[in-house]
Amino acid sequence: MIELRHVFKRYRGGADVLADINFTIEEGEMVFLTGPSGAGKSTLLKLIALIERPTRGRITVNGHDLTKLSRWRIPGFRREIGVVFQDNKLLNDRTLFDNVALPLIVRGIGGHELRHRVQAALDKVGLLARAHSYPLTLSGGEQQRVGIARAITNRPPLLIADEPTGNLDTALSDEVIDLFREFHEHGTTVVIATHEKRHIQRLGKRVIALSRAHSLATA
Amino acid sequence: MRGYFSRHAQVLLATIGDIVRDPVGSALTIAVIGITLALPAGLFAALGNLDRLSEGWHRSAAFSVYLHRQTAAPRQVAAAIGRLPGVQAATYVSPAAGLAAFQRLSGFGAALTTLKRNPLPPVVLVTPRRETPAALKGLVQTLKATPGVALVQSDLRWLERLHAGLILGHRLAILLTVLLGLAVLLILGNIIRVAVMNRATEIEVIQLVGGTDRFIRRPFLYAGALQGALGALLAFLIVNLAIWAIDGPARQLAELYGSGYRLEGLGLHGFWWLLAGGAALGWSGSRLAVARELRRRRLT
Repeated sequence: MIELRHVFKRYRGGADVLADINFTIEEGEMVFLTGPSGAGKSTLLKLIALIERPTRGRITVNGHDLTKLSRWRIPGFRREIGVVFQDNKLLNDRTLFDNVALPLIVRGIGGHELRHRVQAALDKVGLLARAHSYPLTLSGGEQQRVGIARAITNRPPLLIADEPTGNLDTALSDEVIDLFREFHEHGTTVVIATHEKRHIQRLGKRVIALSRAHSLATA
Repeated sequence: MRGYFSRHAQVLLATIGDIVRDPVGSALTIAVIGITLALPAGLFAALGNLDRLSEGWHRSAAFSVYLHRQTAAPRQVAAAIGRLPGVQAATYVSPAAGLAAFQRLSGFGAALTTLKRNPLPPVVLVTPRRETPAALKGLVQTLKATPGVALVQSDLRWLERLHAGLILGHRLAILLTVLLGLAVLLILGNIIRVAVMNRATEIEVIQLVGGTDRFIRRPFLYAGALQGALGALLAFLIVNLAIWAIDGPARQLAELYGSGYRLEGLGLHGFWWLLAGGAALGWSGSRLAVARELRRRRLT
């Protein structure tokens, strides 16, 4: 599903954030991406979601060679992956329903199907009753779940999440991770960047560890 | 296909909603565009009126074509002249009719009866079609070369002056239109640029969930086109109100010159041109602005 070969990333005027990263994630796998802050977890996820491009190296995601993907195909590619951001990136002037509907609207899906899929996604994260509330009236954990609902409305084969439990307490944090496991059990490939060892131990899934020295150890 | 149209209708409705939600801001934008467009539109309306005025003068620009007195069949010559291209009407005035009219109008009635023979030649009064002065000159040459014609009396110099003046006016109007059209493009472009910046978060999220540039652009293009069209509508009202306001004095002036001339505002034709122009300028302005902002904000 995801393959990185000799991937380097360097921002202009800085040192390498990622240096010679190599790994493969199989279809249907659930993987934790760990490492201390500054090790490049977010950058790596951005490369996979094609929010940024690597300085060198080859990345293949869901059969697409990202180095060769033209600008015009990027929107189509992004529809194949669901991304959950650390800061949610919800639109605060729109209701939960409208937020979750966005990936579908962008694809031109409307009417009954739109309603059905948005409701299903909100139901999945337990927020159907709040469909017409605005994000700022929700707690941090609830907002994070809205972000997850938005990532799954498109039923993408790949789900990636950057510190989805970042500022949640233990119970809420477990709830969110369990939600991801559920998608994984239904066949979705899931990649979660986290620095919380607890989830890793609790779920016992594969871990890709980034070190600050930019070399890679796979557990 | 139905989905496509309904999506566009949705965006259009949302755009109208945005304009209604910010009435003061929208009104200011539309006013600026309306006044800017009113200047060239007003100039074109003025030129249209001058054009119509010159048409009235054209009708009085008749030629007198004097035939040789010995011409055997002057009526046939008159008929031949009437068939020439560029001739709207040719009226034959026989020497007898000419003398009668002269007696009636000149006041020499009694004196003229003492003449032994009618000194007047047969005359054909030619009303030309509306043509450029150059074409009218050509017509005069043709008339001069027509067998049986002795003399053609015409005065084209003032017509030439009027024509040159109108051409100058048109050129100025086009120049002004281009400049002020550019101004509208920039005004709307800048307004849309600010709108894009205000919605930076929304644009980023849309890009992240796989929205195409076209999808992002659409509401801004609608907003630009709609504001341009509304500005054009305002310009139309401004011009026609102004013409309505000066129509009274203008009519008085015309009456003093013995003319029933009336000013005309921008008609339906002008309305559609203005509307299409305003919408096109708004659309292009926002297209340029959004393209620039999207280039700046592209994620990868």
